[in-house]
Amino acid sequence: MLGSASTLCRVRRIAGIVLAVLLLGGVVAAVVAGRQGEDKGTATKTVRGVIGSEKADFFADPDVVKALAAKGYTVKAEASGSWAMEGLDLKGYDFAFPSSQAPARQLAHKYHVQEPLPRPFYSPLVVVAHRSAADVLAGNGLATLDGRNRGTLKMRAYLDAARHDRTWQQLKGATKYGELTGALYIASTDPESSNSGALYLAASSYVAGGGKVVSGKADVERTAPLLHKLVSVQGAQQSSSDAVFRDFVSGAGNPLVLVYESQVAALLAEQHAVDDLVVLYPDTTVNSDHTVVPLDAAGRALGELLSTDPALRKLAVRHGFRPQGDAAEFVAATGDRSAYLNQKLTGVRQAPVPTSGVLHDMARRARG
Amino acid sequence: MRRRPLLALAVATAALLTACTAEAEHKDDPAAPKPGTLRVLASSELSDMTAVFDRVRKDTGVTIRPTYMGTLDAVDLLARGKADGAYDALWLSSDDYLRLRPEAAKKVVSETPVMSSPVAVGVKPATVRALGWKPGSVTWSQVEQAVQDGRLTYGMTDPARSNSGFATLVSVASALSGAQSALTDADVAKATPRLKEFFKGQKLTSGSSGWLATAYRRRGTVDALLNYESVLEGIPGLTVIRPRDGVVTADYPFSSLAATGARTREDVRKVTADLRTDAVQQLITETTHRRPVVPSVRPAAGLDTARRRELPFPGSRSVADGLLDSYENELRRPSRTVYVLDTSGSMEGGRIAALKKALAGLTGDFRDREEVTLMPFGSAVKSVRTHVVDPGDPEAGLDAIRRDTDALSADGGTAIYTSLEQAYDQLGAGKDAFTSIVLMTDGENTAGAEAGDFDGFYRALGGSRREIPVFPILFGDSSRSELQHIADLTGGRLFDAQQGSLDGAFEEIRGYQ
Repeated sequence: MLGSASTLCRVRRIAGIVLAVLLLGGVVAAVVAGRQGEDKGTATKTVRGVIGSEKADFFADPDVVKALAAKGYTVKAEASGSWAMEGLDLKGYDFAFPSSQAPARQLAHKYHVQEPLPRPFYSPLVVVAHRSAADVLAGNGLATLDGRNRGTLKMRAYLDAARHDRTWQQLKGATKYGELTGALYIASTDPESSNSGALYLAASSYVAGGGKVVSGKADVERTAPLLHKLVSVQGAQQSSSDAVFRDFVSGAGNPLVLVYESQVAALLAEQHAVDDLVVLYPDTTVNSDHTVVPLDAAGRALGELLSTDPALRKLAVRHGFRPQGDAAEFVAATGDRSAYLNQKLTGVRQAPVPTSGVLHDMARRARG
Repeated sequence: MRRRPLLALAVATAALLTACTAEAEHKDDPAAPKPGTLRVLASSELSDMTAVFDRVRKDTGVTIRPTYMGTLDAVDLLARGKADGAYDALWLSSDDYLRLRPEAAKKVVSETPVMSSPVAVGVKPATVRALGWKPGSVTWSQVEQAVQDGRLTYGMTDPARSNSGFATLVSVASALSGAQSALTDADVAKATPRLKEFFKGQKLTSGSSGWLATAYRRRGTVDALLNYESVLEGIPGLTVIRPRDGVVTADYPFSSLAATGARTREDVRKVTADLRTDAVQQLITETTHRRPVVPSVRPAAGLDTARRRELPFPGSRSVADGLLDSYENELRRPSRTVYVLDTSGSMEGGRIAALKKALAGLTGDFRDREEVTLMPFGSAVKSVRTHVVDPGDPEAGLDAIRRDTDALSADGGTAIYTSLEQAYDQLGAGKDAFTSIVLMTDGENTAGAEAGDFDGFYRALGGSRREIPVFPILFGDSSRSELQHIADLTGGRLFDAQQGSLDGAFEEIRGYQ
């Protein structure tokens, strides 16, 4: 048995060499790709990229794979924290696709990529809560609810509570719920490695600064104590928005979790109704602009394709992202989820994001 | 404070390989990289996932080859760069501790949580009734009260070796310290007196969840086990309670490593995508009692879905390591061990040198308050020397152990059973400690009492001495069946230093002492 297997191996190896000699050059890549069992018929171009974890389901969706193949692409995407991408060796990759502009700019600078960078879609940060937690927040003036599954988180009141180490048991109506004890806080990802955690600090510092974006050392200094509190209370933090959301879905983790709206919208598209879920839109939030950093021509072509191809834009909406440039697309496609989603972002203000250097500083101080 | 030396305890599993590549020629080396096989550095809790591994292989063509290791050891390996090139992926019960070590955390590219399981308390139904507990509303304080009243004893795994033990320790410390947010050094210090009381109730310790369950069944007098819900659900006849005031939950992130190539990471991607499919999530929750992370799959029957507060994991290494250190050296009951060491003539040369080296390695690992007795034997016991690691001056005791180790010399026959009987006599009854006997021999019994005599001796022992397990180490030409019999008879566990190293075996036993 061993003998026959190794004979087979030898034959196959020889066949491989013969092929390689015959088809020297670019075609070899297609043979390799074919041997891995994909797209044997069509000659798609394999494009390799590193992406924020919240986009993993999008690229894994068979319809997305099909739509990309129709345009001649096979995308191999691997998840990484947006800020952690800077530490990766991206040799051999065609693109990086972090979750916002700041890490994208930094990567563009490192790899000498020409601006502008394609920004196919965006998603605001939201807080997911179980009904019990949302009700208690609303009963204590920290949130307002529009119906059963949607509401607005009052950031100023929340930050005030955090500043004063407010616990759940100090809030009216919390004792009914056993799980609502301990410090009141929003769980986020690690701001030093992950985008959503960093943007949480951006939004919080903007509110704490009375509507002023943090821009220099003095501002960083002034906001540091509060931001440190928001982070240190959480203990060890997850490094990806996918992980915190999965914990929430599996019933573990903190009652309030900061995620991207896209993650919630995608879950609802699959699930239709998640009864015990309330989506709280912070009255001041930050949009994550999912930004493509092309590392070569193929990467740039993919970025453009994601921005312009109607089929792919539609699929992006299915995964909960808001395509740039046309708000109506998202509103129309998420009509069935309007009980959960604030489709037009009514009453939600966008905080500007500090420059990446400042954001890094803020994150370091908050963690330290 | 002393840090224990982190020795990697690798127990590699066998793997099938049929790959048509140059690597196929290295078939004998289980550590060699192979396309289509992921060498996964994994928590030992994952050894119940075989059915899932098989399913993943069928779905993706990728073989998962786990090497089981404690979290601390695995994180240390990563931090020192020793996992680079040796492993293709990481799959711990939780990456919480990993994140406290930036040198290790930066070795990880992406983490995909696959399933979850909270820390829980598995209690005998009779005890639940006697305590008047309602399983849905029990708190850690009630558990603490029951321990204080002498109405509850329990077993848990060693936090330094097993992730389940570590998560349990953090849960208990967080809950009993009254900390409202992530634990700080001050919280731990404040909680120390209460924790000391709490850990007086711990009557069983183990380096692995599997042996803990076996020892629990055998002992019969322990009321409860603290472990992950998934482990406890797998032990028939336990009422599984998730304390109402909070738990630490493992989320089992399958993680890809920065030092690997694109092709390996593509295999990791395939595997994680498959693990998240409804079918595999269903298989996971049904076969392992863990909770799914996709909303379309319901947790297996029997897993209560009422919410629990998640206790935050410490955010700094100093807090986590400090807690572990006080558990080992201050909070837990001390250990008390007789090392019955074969120094017969056949140990001459390399073997006795290996023994001396292994024992010298252990001296860095003995805990404060630990009582160590060295009992070398040949045709009879040669000497009995007992040392205690005094918290006021730990080095004095450790130096004495090193001196005695140095003085060991090989001569005489092999009186295994007579020496074991003497070890039991030496231990007597009484002291409040985790008491055990380690037996290292390189040959078969040639002098003194026979196996049958020892069986009779053991069966005639009084209750508390019969609870002392023997952990035999298979070494040199010793007989597996003879030593396995001793382990089975006394409720111990056999450790293999014929396949693995003598250092490794001694080190692994530490988790059971």
